Amino acid sequence: MASSGTAVSLSNVRKTYRIGEPVHALDGVSLEVPRGSYTAIMGPSGSGKSTLMNLVGCLDTPTEGTVVVGGQDVRTLGDRERTRLRGTEVGFVFQTFNLMPRLNAVENVALPQLFQGVGRAERLERARNLLERVGLGDRTDHMPNELSGGQRQRVALARALVNDPAIVLADEPSGNLDTDTEADILDLFDEFHEGGTTMLVVTHERHVAERADRIVHLLDGKIERIEELDDAGESQAGSPAGRESGGGDE
Amino acid sequence: MNPLESLRLAWRSIRGHRLRSALTTLGIVIGIAAVIAFVTLGASLQAGVIGDISPDDQRNVYGWAAEPDSEGGPLAGAQPVFTQDDLEAVEDLEDVDAAYGYATLQTQAISNGEETVAQGSGLIASGPSYIREERIAEGRQFEMGAREAVLNPAAANQFEENVSVGENLTVTMLGGQQMDVEVVGITDNSEGLSPFEGFESSPRVYVPTDPYYTEQASMLGIGGGAGGGAGNQSLAGGEARFLAIIIEAESADQTDIDAARESATDYLESDAADASELLDDDLEVQLQTSTELLGQLQDVLNLLQNFIVGIAAISLLVGSIGIANIMLVSVTERTREIGIMKAVGAQNRDVLGLFLTESVILGVIGAILGTGLGLVGGYLGAQYIDLPLVYPLEYVALAIIVGMVVGILAGLYPAWRAARTDPIDALRYE
Repeated sequence: MASSGTAVSLSNVRKTYRIGEPVHALDGVSLEVPRGSYTAIMGPSGSGKSTLMNLVGCLDTPTEGTVVVGGQDVRTLGDRERTRLRGTEVGFVFQTFNLMPRLNAVENVALPQLFQGVGRAERLERARNLLERVGLGDRTDHMPNELSGGQRQRVALARALVNDPAIVLADEPSGNLDTDTEADILDLFDEFHEGGTTMLVVTHERHVAERADRIVHLLDGKIERIEELDDAGESQAGSPAGRESGGGDE
Repeated sequence: MNPLESLRLAWRSIRGHRLRSALTTLGIVIGIAAVIAFVTLGASLQAGVIGDISPDDQRNVYGWAAEPDSEGGPLAGAQPVFTQDDLEAVEDLEDVDAAYGYATLQTQAISNGEETVAQGSGLIASGPSYIREERIAEGRQFEMGAREAVLNPAAANQFEENVSVGENLTVTMLGGQQMDVEVVGITDNSEGLSPFEGFESSPRVYVPTDPYYTEQASMLGIGGGAGGGAGNQSLAGGEARFLAIIIEAESADQTDIDAARESATDYLESDAADASELLDDDLEVQLQTSTELLGQLQDVLNLLQNFIVGIAAISLLVGSIGIANIMLVSVTERTREIGIMKAVGAQNRDVLGLFLTESVILGVIGAILGTGLGLVGGYLGAQYIDLPLVYPLEYVALAIIVGMVVGILAGLYPAWRAARTDPIDALRYE
């Protein structure tokens, strides 16, 4: 996978909800996510984490500003193209796993390719390979309710990777897991990141965020600061508003 | 998304709720089963009745005098107007092969010497060719003017020792007087020979109108007296008049039948005919073929069928509301699944197709089960009434199409709702 170029870039993004008083869920956010990077987003509830996720995941469009995913400006796309972009360029990993209950592991992993019109045999073949890579080669035919939480999250990760996306979006990926399982999953994230996958993890737990190269701190819809981390997870000095960030005070 | 994949996924979720899916299809099953069962019965009944008319019967035209436009089948409102002279004249007409009267003579019993059996269904008096050559299994047709009879097997076999050709029987008429007949023929089966008799199997004794009907009529005043009112004076002679006549055309060809019918009507309504004395605006000659007579039966059958189809339509409506309802429940239940599918790249039309497929499967399964049930019902019904079984295959195809259409109509709104679900809300949905 290419580790040069930009996977996702946001510039001056504003998202306003009008429920009575206009509320700025995101208020002028600019952020570059380079290919092959590992970014964590932290912030308290209501800081705009979910909104940012939805925008990067092409589930939503910004009120102002531009969101570019896989080289395409999301705002200029119609619903159909946006769905297509989401299917091919974004892989989701959710806190609650969100597997299809009546599909077995391999079918769950293959699901995104079903909507891209990939043939069944080819799809399942690729899904089996991915399950093997996440360590579930012997569980391919199990239904989600026959798998543990950690195993389900592995299936979800394999599903997120199946279309070779520009970015994997993980929303509190270890929120429903115990400590040991959490470490396993995060190790797996590291493994794929080292293999070149671009990761964006939203979390409110410091030790999860510290796995990343940098932590973007959100507060009240703005980027509060960007923390660059070295390999050991130690914070590099300084950088209240990161190099590539438009800053939080615009 | 490939339709096959939609089918696979939709089938998966239907199987996930077996009982619910089965109950949902019940309305469709009942509606389709009712229609198929009754259509099968109707077709079998039609085949049973029409099958009884041999091709040779097709050239017969059955006639009687009744009020114009009177309905109710053969002989409805018929009055005796035709004399033997009329029939002979009609028979001499160019387009007519044969013409004879038809009457049933009421009887009490028949005996073959020692043994006497009750015979309430009477003697059937007609012309020799009424019993067609090919229907005679043994012996020959009776001759006009002779004291002869042809029996059907049911009549011949009701004695301890079967009656055979050449034996003499004594018939006791309703009035008590006795007549002798010589058995000259036995027919091949016991089904009726014309719509006048009806086509069901029963013991029948066929005799010539002369001498049996003419004697009876002059003795009892049948025909003369029943002519009523104005007819009485001209009937002073007491000549026997027939209630029903049969005219045989040259062939079963429609033009020949029409020619025979036309010339017979013309003659009977002309002053030359005795019948014309009694005919007026309220009493017209009606001449119809078996097929035309059966058409009236068909009308009744169609009415019944429309009624059943109407009830079935209501059942289908209720069934499709049931499917729509359960699909709406299903869409709500699976909001999260819809969110997942959209998050991983499902287009609106994929989701729409998935739910629509599911409701079409429910409709089609209902239709298939209903068709099966209906065919079994029709089969049992046909067995029970003893009819030849005819499966109306075009209705089976139609039933499947109806199931599909019902599925589409019922699934349209729920599927549309599913398709426009917002993935952000759906993923949050608990």
